[in-house]
Amino acid sequence: MEYRELVKSVPRPMREGLSENLMDILLEAKDGGDVPTSLAKTILYYWQRDQLASEAGLTNLLRAVVEANPIQTAAVLDDFGLEEIKLAISPAEG
Amino acid sequence: MKSFGIEFVPMELFWRTTYYTIQAEHLGYDSIWITDHFNNRNVYVSLAVIANYTDRIKLGPGVTNPYLIHPVMTAQSVASLNEVAPGRVICGIGAGDRTTLEMVGIPMKAPLRTVREAVEIIRRQIAREKGSYEGKLFKTSAGARFNFKMNEPIPIYIGAQGPKMLQLAGALGDGALINASHPDDIKRAVKLIAKGAEKAGRDPKEVDIAAYTSFSIAENEKKARKPAVPVVAYIVAGSPPFILEKHGIPVEKAEKIRNDLANRNWGEAFGAVDRNMIDTFAVCGSPDQCTEKIATLFKTGITHFVTGSPLGPNVRESIKLFGVEVLPHFKELP
Repeated sequence: MEYRELVKSVPRPMREGLSENLMDILLEAKDGGDVPTSLAKTILYYWQRDQLASEAGLTNLLRAVVEANPIQTAAVLDDFGLEEIKLAISPAEG
Repeated sequence: MKSFGIEFVPMELFWRTTYYTIQAEHLGYDSIWITDHFNNRNVYVSLAVIANYTDRIKLGPGVTNPYLIHPVMTAQSVASLNEVAPGRVICGIGAGDRTTLEMVGIPMKAPLRTVREAVEIIRRQIAREKGSYEGKLFKTSAGARFNFKMNEPIPIYIGAQGPKMLQLAGALGDGALINASHPDDIKRAVKLIAKGAEKAGRDPKEVDIAAYTSFSIAENEKKARKPAVPVVAYIVAGSPPFILEKHGIPVEKAEKIRNDLANRNWGEAFGAVDRNMIDTFAVCGSPDQCTEKIATLFKTGITHFVTGSPLGPNVRESIKLFGVEVLPHFKELP
């Protein structure tokens, strides 16, 4: 799955709110959601520059939250009406 | 000039504490303090990471203690940190927590002298002073100097609660961290700090006086109070009888909370925390309520307000609420 392509489909006005909601998942995930240190540092890099809602920032954030808590990620994507992304990140059934 | 700080307990993964600090810096907080407990993540590792991801905010231990960490090591740590964050390092030091020290078999003996000598040694080390130091408790030989240079002094803040330590903070500290949240307690502390400064021949205005509070903010009071309960339970359990009596808290009730906490009866202990206890030992409420309480605290003479644990039901949201709805009442934001 190409996260960057998925993020491109998120309408710009929605990105700020989405990044905050996704970040909450990460901040509340048990044991840090096993986010790899390198990915956590990348997220901090974008956050320091206030770029977590940018395409690159959101791409890394989405990658981390899908690993940390796929169920909550799907619920947030649902709330934002991002059905296509939700389907793309959901594990294939069967 | 009013300053605002935030305290973190490094119980969380390093990147979470760093995330919150970056957020605080963006919103205009002035200082970040990391607690130093052996059972949490190391304070200087946490601070070094934070220093790498921030540019403006001041940062330091809040507070370390000279019983577990020898003052030459504290001096070395803050001086090294200063290379990563030049001019941004602050150093909070106090006598520590008796219960925690006892866990590792260290008695808290002569806290005033210990803190005084530790501060003197830290200053000497940072200034690379020649000659030996002959304290009653600590000694360093003439050769015990850094092999590296420091270009600026590091402000030392003394954490204090009791009358004598508060006076010592006024006499010796670049700053004081008052471990209290109620206006009456802080007013009394400010007077003692000023008294200590005057006795030492200093202008009390030289001392940056911080109220180091237990703090919780949320969109409404009910939500803010909930996370404050466990923190307040521990404060009540550890408070001396004269403080409890002063605020109308029955000593027997505090005793029962202490026993319930010791026996891990969390429900009983937390259930016994009432409104008066929260109002006494925490700054807690909606943004408007917190603004009003902080304004009252600044009237006591403090110059710095530190939001300590628990911060609120959702840390990210609480930092945002404080930065967006409270801070602008007191200072111009960057």
